[in-house]
Amino acid sequence: MNDAATGAEIVRFSHVSKQYPGTLANDDVSLSIRRGEVFALVGENGAGKSTLMNLLYGLQAPTLGDIYIKGEKTGPQHGPESAMRMGVSMVHQHFKLVPSFTVAQNVMLGHEPRRGLFYDGREAEETVRRLSAEYGLKVEPGDVVRDLSVGIQQRVEILKALRTGADVLILDEPTAVLTPQEAEELFEVIRRVVQEKNMTVILITHRLPEVMRVSDRVGVMRRGRLEKVMETRETSEREIASLMVGRDVLFSDLPGGQAAGEERLVIRGLCALSDRGLPALRGMDLTVHAGEVVGVCGVEGNGQTELAECVAGMRPVTGGSVVLCGRDVTGQAPGRIREAGLSYIPEDRISTGVDVKASVAENLIVGKQRTPAFSRLGVHLRRGQVKKYAQELSQAFDIRTSGVDEPAGSLSGGNMQKVVLAREFSFGSPALLVCQPTRGVDIGATEFIHERIVEKRDQGCAVLLISADLDELMRLSDRLVTVFEGRVTGRFRTAEVTREEIGYYMTGGHQDTKEAEAQ
Amino acid sequence: MGDVLNILLLQNTLRTATPVVLAALGCLMTQHVNITNIGIEGMMLTGAFFAVLGSYFAGSWVAGIACALLVGLLLGLFYYVFVIKFKSDEFIIGVALNIFAGGLTVFLLRNIFDVKGSFSDPAIVPLPTVEIPLIKDIPVIGPLLSGNTLLVYVSWLLVPVCWAFIYKTPMGFHLRASGEYPDALTAAGRSPERMKCLASVLCGLLSALAGAHLSLGYLTMFSENMSASRGYVAFACVIFGRGNPPKVFLAALLFGFIEALGLRMQKYMPSDLTAMAPYVVTVVMMVAVVLMERRKRRHAA
Amino acid sequence: MSGLMQSLRALARLKPAQKLTRDYLVSLLTAVLLALAVGAGIMLVCGHNPIEGYGALIEGALGKPRAIGNTLAKTVTLCLTGLAMSLAAKAGVFNVGGEGQLYLGAMAAAVVGAQVDAPAWLVTLLALLAAMAAGGLYALLPGALKVKWKVDEVITTIMLNSVAIYFCSYLANGPLKTAERGIATGTDSIMAEAAFTPLIKLSNLTTGVFYAAAVALIVWYVMSRSSVGFEMKLTGENDRFARYGGIRTGSLMLWAMVFSGAICGLVGMLEVFGLHKRFLTTVSNEFYFDGMLVAMIMRYSPFGVIVMSFFFAVLSIGSKSMELSAGVSSELILIVQSIIIFFMAAEGGIRKALGERAALRRARAAAGERGRG
Repeated sequence: MNDAATGAEIVRFSHVSKQYPGTLANDDVSLSIRRGEVFALVGENGAGKSTLMNLLYGLQAPTLGDIYIKGEKTGPQHGPESAMRMGVSMVHQHFKLVPSFTVAQNVMLGHEPRRGLFYDGREAEETVRRLSAEYGLKVEPGDVVRDLSVGIQQRVEILKALRTGADVLILDEPTAVLTPQEAEELFEVIRRVVQEKNMTVILITHRLPEVMRVSDRVGVMRRGRLEKVMETRETSEREIASLMVGRDVLFSDLPGGQAAGEERLVIRGLCALSDRGLPALRGMDLTVHAGEVVGVCGVEGNGQTELAECVAGMRPVTGGSVVLCGRDVTGQAPGRIREAGLSYIPEDRISTGVDVKASVAENLIVGKQRTPAFSRLGVHLRRGQVKKYAQELSQAFDIRTSGVDEPAGSLSGGNMQKVVLAREFSFGSPALLVCQPTRGVDIGATEFIHERIVEKRDQGCAVLLISADLDELMRLSDRLVTVFEGRVTGRFRTAEVTREEIGYYMTGGHQDTKEAEAQ
Repeated sequence: MGDVLNILLLQNTLRTATPVVLAALGCLMTQHVNITNIGIEGMMLTGAFFAVLGSYFAGSWVAGIACALLVGLLLGLFYYVFVIKFKSDEFIIGVALNIFAGGLTVFLLRNIFDVKGSFSDPAIVPLPTVEIPLIKDIPVIGPLLSGNTLLVYVSWLLVPVCWAFIYKTPMGFHLRASGEYPDALTAAGRSPERMKCLASVLCGLLSALAGAHLSLGYLTMFSENMSASRGYVAFACVIFGRGNPPKVFLAALLFGFIEALGLRMQKYMPSDLTAMAPYVVTVVMMVAVVLMERRKRRHAA
Repeated sequence: MSGLMQSLRALARLKPAQKLTRDYLVSLLTAVLLALAVGAGIMLVCGHNPIEGYGALIEGALGKPRAIGNTLAKTVTLCLTGLAMSLAAKAGVFNVGGEGQLYLGAMAAAVVGAQVDAPAWLVTLLALLAAMAAGGLYALLPGALKVKWKVDEVITTIMLNSVAIYFCSYLANGPLKTAERGIATGTDSIMAEAAFTPLIKLSNLTTGVFYAAAVALIVWYVMSRSSVGFEMKLTGENDRFARYGGIRTGSLMLWAMVFSGAICGLVGMLEVFGLHKRFLTTVSNEFYFDGMLVAMIMRYSPFGVIVMSFFFAVLSIGSKSMELSAGVSSELILIVQSIIIFFMAAEGGIRKALGERAALRRARAAAGERGRG
């Protein structure tokens, strides 16, 4: 295992900079990565870690500086093709798989075996079967990718990367969509390829616990610069975190909630179909009281999205009921549900939360455009009032824009989320549905958003929080429910449960007693 | 009604369906790379004009076809540059291409042939008809399968060829991947843009060929706006056949049948009403596709 | 076949472009000049003098009061059809079926004008309403199919164009064919007193222009100043977001489509009551498509549509006298117009390609300097 080659330099960045229009994504980065190590590259969103790896993989060209792979300098024509030839492969955060193709067709894409003019399907499946056995990544070559779970899709993606016989494997945020168990299996694969095949794994992540667990060395990036490279065993989560954010504060503790009040949001036996027409909710039961935050945790794709959309009226309900503040709002239009007292922060800002083409001001008043404050007789839009109101609101929520007439699409993720938050909170609704509030949001804005949610709760608002970030759920929720395949599998008081327990229920374990629900 | 429903009807069906089949094969190429090409109509019309031009001046139908193909190639490249390179709205470019084609062909018609409306001349050499020995003597099927113009057979041949290309060759895989998930292709080290270019060019070539059939095979003349919305009909066939060449072919045959039936029903009904039929059927088909899709989903659930 | 489904979705995604900016207008001017230059080049190749050609064009469009009247009448047609397109597109529906709606409107107006026996002003009014109703209802069908079942409206409206045109042609050739001699395919003429009167002698500009102006004003107000216009804009830009914001996007889209169709019907009525005094199968010559292109070039901005309509009207009316007095085929103008459209559709892409190159150069220079420093 520790043969002579181990520890030799395999990839070197020499004074690499990448300029995008308006931002310097990588600023004079010099870094050397060794053969046979797991190198973790950490940093906040937008710190430049993905950009750096895209340069290595040839998806973009550096503006300045040189990249060496096994001592060979990459040329100006460097692209994924030449990267693969030089032994570098990348598993992207968003899988690069063609949904209607089979596993084998996806793995062999671009390098299909041929028989004459035609694609040789048998040969392709054989190759995939062999690779799958060699690396212990179990897949069925004939399955259509569209029908596979996220975890298996990731295996396909990794197989694709390994097919080329790569020595360097780049993994971009690989655990973001996995269950704890699936993540564990992934770490197993990483360990195997590093130890048995003497490969190098570069792990892009912002989850510090997994950095500590699997990496040999860690590099911290901030604002395009490589801050520091350390041996993992000589550092701590706290040190890495402070390097990431550039100040020595992590999350302050948030005050806990008061005793919960009356029932505000009651969901009974809720059923709905997914976009693909398959059952996504199979009788979900949930109750949220005034003055509490209930967190929904589960692996992505177990009905969380559909739950939120059904409650908000964005998806047809096929069974069960939603009662909001004593009113049955099952299957009503989003506008009616909003009137009945629900504010909703959707998980996908860009497609649902804002209109990226409309101005910040316009985004801030949506839902109020027919109220007398902004509309004379419900006919004439009072544009002056809209602007004035938007300026006040963006000040209160610290939305950083060059002006409220700017299109919302030009804002950063955090500021865009603040626009959503400002608008939704301004309704003063008695119930709040929050989905993935801090996804793609930097740490500073995350804290701001968390504080605002807790503030709402303290004002007596009933909050249903759906998030893929377990830390966020544990930090904000008074109670937690776990969901699996469209059903609630467990109910807990946050203070009385461990992560391991939650992990168990998230993956299909069942809790028979409902002590938490009964209080 | 015996004079309507006879073998001639089927013959006419094949004749009228052929331009739609060829244009639809072109259209499905761009569909597979996720470009909605409304501009086939214009490509077809331009192809029709240049086929006549080539045939007339060179005195050979081969020159006519070559001329049409050359123009089709140029139009395909043009379409690619504007839609993919410059990321223009494919819909606007398509509509503009149709208007451009209408203007250009009439302009050239007046400046080259010095006529308005339509141009027919004995010097235009039409496509040859092909008699297939043995088969032509079989009753009923014989006159149907034999004695058609060349491009009719080419279109029949192209259906399985296109099918095999799209679903059975690595390049066809890349073509589809570039439409369905271009990033996957990029990550595999292949260029989706190149596949889109290929699809645009193929679309231009096939549409121009459809036009050539219209002006040298179906008729032997060029007239203003002679494509008569067949490009749009072809588009509808592609939607109806879900981009699968044999299914698209069947959809086009259905159109051919309806159009041929309409032509032969003129004795009994006003021609304006029979001419409406293909368009009504297209709308009905579009609705049917969507309803079938919904039904399938409900069954899956 | 999800690739295909995706492209269907791509059709549905065709959304209104951004606002008109100063940069965009500069590009527009460049494109117009470039297209006119290409036109001049073609004239030279065909052995005509471009100065003479364009001179004849301007003379023909603006030289005499009668010519100005015709140009203004054409402007009205382009402007109304352009606004009809913009109105629907703003809400995210593409009404490509204006031509058919126009024909049905013209037919409805002609029938009312010829058959109804009432005071002249009432006949005019009834014809107006009938035309708008006919156009609106005919747009309702593809609109409803789109909203209810998500059937792509681009193809259905194109197909319904042909259906309507053939249907009107059937009526004009058959049951409603006039007994008058010398009219090949047309209906009975309308009540003479109910027709619009010319504002400029011998020109096509009639009192109908006041109706047109009123409609244009209303459309402008609704699109740029009203609350419902704001809701339409949101629906067109991101219908999911609009729904989330409590807007009833389905009915909004449907109404946008119906009004778009009604405006097209009105254009048909203006043609019948202003020009032909009866329905003729030649009532429109792809007028709607011209208006549609004007709308696209001006990014569905109502004010921009009004200005650009005038320019296109000058080209269109002038092209006829260019043909008569300078011998240049009028189709040349179609080529010029489509070149403008090609460049304006590609404007963003071309600008970006140029901009990126410049930015890269600047970045290289800046980074190089820092590298040395």
